[in-house]
Amino acid sequence: MGHSTSEWAFVLVVIALLIWVGAESWRVEHTLEFAPPNSETVRVIGQQWFWSFQHADGTQEVNELHLKANVPYRFEIVSNDVIHDFAVPDFAILMDAVPGRVNSLWNVFDKPGEYLIECREYCGQGHQQMRAKLFIEPNNNATAATGAGGSSAASTTGTQPSSAISQGTGLISVVKPGSNATVTQGTGLERVVKPPTITQNASSGSSNTTSAASTKTSAPAPSGPSVALSIPSGASTQGNPSYDPATLSIKKGDIVTVTNNDNAPHTVTSGSSATDPKNGKLFDSGLIMPGKSVKVNTASLAPGTYPFHCTVHTFMSGTLTVKA
Amino acid sequence: MVLELKKPRPLWEIIFSTHHTDIGLLYMITSLTAFAAGGALAMAIRTELFLPGLQEFSGQSDFARFFTVHGTTMLFLWAVPFAAGVGNYLVPIMVRYKDMAWPKLNAIAYWMIPPCFVLIWVGFSDMSWNAYPPYSILKAAGPAADMWIFALKILGISSILGSVNFMVTILKMRHPDLPLMKMPLFCWAVIATSAMIITSMPTFDAALIMMYTDRLGVTGFFNPDMGGDPIAYQHLFWFTFHPEVYIFFLPSIGMLYEIIPTFSRKPIFSYYSGVIALVVVAIIGFGSWAHHMFATGMTFTEKTVFMVGTLAAVPPSAMHVFNFMATMWGGRIKFAAPMLFGVGGIALFYASGAGGVVNTAIPLDFVTHDSYWVVGHFHLILMGTISLTFTGMVYYLFPLITGRMYNTSLAKLHFCLAMVGIILVFGVMHLEGLYGMPRRVSDYLPIAQLIIMNQIATTGAWIIGSSYVLFAINMIKSAMFGKLADPKDPFEMKTGKEYYYDYARKNPHH
Repeated sequence: MGHSTSEWAFVLVVIALLIWVGAESWRVEHTLEFAPPNSETVRVIGQQWFWSFQHADGTQEVNELHLKANVPYRFEIVSNDVIHDFAVPDFAILMDAVPGRVNSLWNVFDKPGEYLIECREYCGQGHQQMRAKLFIEPNNNATAATGAGGSSAASTTGTQPSSAISQGTGLISVVKPGSNATVTQGTGLERVVKPPTITQNASSGSSNTTSAASTKTSAPAPSGPSVALSIPSGASTQGNPSYDPATLSIKKGDIVTVTNNDNAPHTVTSGSSATDPKNGKLFDSGLIMPGKSVKVNTASLAPGTYPFHCTVHTFMSGTLTVKA
Repeated sequence: MVLELKKPRPLWEIIFSTHHTDIGLLYMITSLTAFAAGGALAMAIRTELFLPGLQEFSGQSDFARFFTVHGTTMLFLWAVPFAAGVGNYLVPIMVRYKDMAWPKLNAIAYWMIPPCFVLIWVGFSDMSWNAYPPYSILKAAGPAADMWIFALKILGISSILGSVNFMVTILKMRHPDLPLMKMPLFCWAVIATSAMIITSMPTFDAALIMMYTDRLGVTGFFNPDMGGDPIAYQHLFWFTFHPEVYIFFLPSIGMLYEIIPTFSRKPIFSYYSGVIALVVVAIIGFGSWAHHMFATGMTFTEKTVFMVGTLAAVPPSAMHVFNFMATMWGGRIKFAAPMLFGVGGIALFYASGAGGVVNTAIPLDFVTHDSYWVVGHFHLILMGTISLTFTGMVYYLFPLITGRMYNTSLAKLHFCLAMVGIILVFGVMHLEGLYGMPRRVSDYLPIAQLIIMNQIATTGAWIIGSSYVLFAINMIKSAMFGKLADPKDPFEMKTGKEYYYDYARKNPHH
């Protein structure tokens, strides 16, 4: 039985194809593996269920990443809890964020625009909402400064508010201090974070601020008496108490001071869930990092009952009752 | 004839029997039940994805439970037990022994499966079928995850016991007149599969114990806070479950070696290359597990090694395909239902195998990892090749088991619908993956292209679902009222060769 010649020919053709596929992918992977020495490092931190980004100069961003076109970036990807996966499908970037490990990859973004960052590894309840935005800004001769209104909203160190983003390790595209050169942005990138009605608590250290928590807004100065709302430790596990008290009764105009005593970030956001039409429309604390507190001004709320939830942990819910 | 529904034997006689045909029947009925149950979950999953946003599920959590149980059911309660069932049925007949080597052990191995079925379905865990720590040890909810761990643990033991039984039956209980190189290739496939199970399964069983003690907080093997490494679990897991791909696949290759020559009315093109390819893939299959983990931050050397290991597993699989085609070449082919399903399976294996070769390219992995490309790829082999072949085998064994003939035109309709559905759903999934659709999400971005692709895929899934409803109706109705089959030549091949499973009737049950 069997005609070995034809079979050998078939197998040899298959093997030749395999060798070609293997050699070609080895060559490509070899290029992708080693980052150029002048690349800027960006630390990507995955956490249930949001992304935060740390630039080389210490500035931080949450769920938004602003980078410049045509600059090599090296991402150091870490996780704070379970395995996530940092993926930018438009640039074929993907790497697991594994707790206890630092994974890295590099890329040069060639097309300015707004792109999607998503989590690709199943990480629990909020997995599918674990998305972030990547803004690639045009980079004119490496002298780009960030837009005037942009950096103060997106990232604030408190020291260099106008040139926070693009300071790498000094090898590439150092922003001239004091330079007011703004980039002509034809792409209409909107970098201003919508001002929520919150004010920064004085206890937040400048070294640890995030975009949401550090945003100075035009909200009216706190006027009414302050009412405390705390997020107890362990709230990020489903089944534990989410907010203390679960039903908070205030008078109109009171300032609600939300303190996060848990080890995970939380929010206090109007609406009963993410699909509620009132989601985040009436009040939104933004992300409250562990140990921090945020004041929510309720002066704009009419008397009534308002359910609220945490956008990070959608199972966390509470109720706010406003009395006249 | 074991299942004669017109003249039923008392149920307890089948249930407490240790005869290999009865156990084989129980295995097959259990696994077909699991296939139906897992398929229902798949329908729910696809229906949810028909539109972006949430339709039937309340959120990601419920959806995760569905795809976890769907995957676990299909892999461990459908693919593995069905292969064991067919093996039970045919191996003793093929090696001409009165039963399996250890009939009682055989029954025990079977009876471990129904409790696992219950554990998995009552628990409804949400940690996905691969249960990666730290999610599975720190965050996965309560008793569900523990039930899942215990179910998988028991299933592992069950398949090891079954494999030992097969090995001994084939190697020691073979008829003295039957040399190894003369026995049917299906037996070689069972040997290769059993050897792979015995080698690979203990690794995962160990990992499950480590995971369970981690969940209890006693140890920290995979818990980074206690100095453990989650990647270690992934290595242990894939060291078992990449070979497991071949554990699902080799039995279907063995079944094709039964079906293709029979319906081509021609001997196998090359028996030796079939044996060599089975044995080689059973060895090389162990050299490629970490290609599932390219994106976990492996070093360049590791990636290269596992890419080469993966590529090395391709030629043996290609040899099987060549063997099938050369067997059919010039044969007088009768496209009865088993042959249709077999040829369909081979065609789809060609597609999924080509996808597999492309997958070995490491840079591509960073585009496709955890996207619908992966989902499309492995479903194309698990549903397209393995399940279609298994379905063909059900049709092939049907006259033997029931003594009756299935409805042939309904079977052909089943095949056409299943084939169209499979190409629609899993072909489109590949495109979705390249378009950036992540897997394991119940909601996706409302982009027109993604919506239309998901709707095509969902329609395909519904077509598959309805085709298998036809299958169930055909099986149940024909087992009761089908026309009596000629036990010597039920498929009217007129080759003069006896449908040799007739042997089964000569042995009384014990």
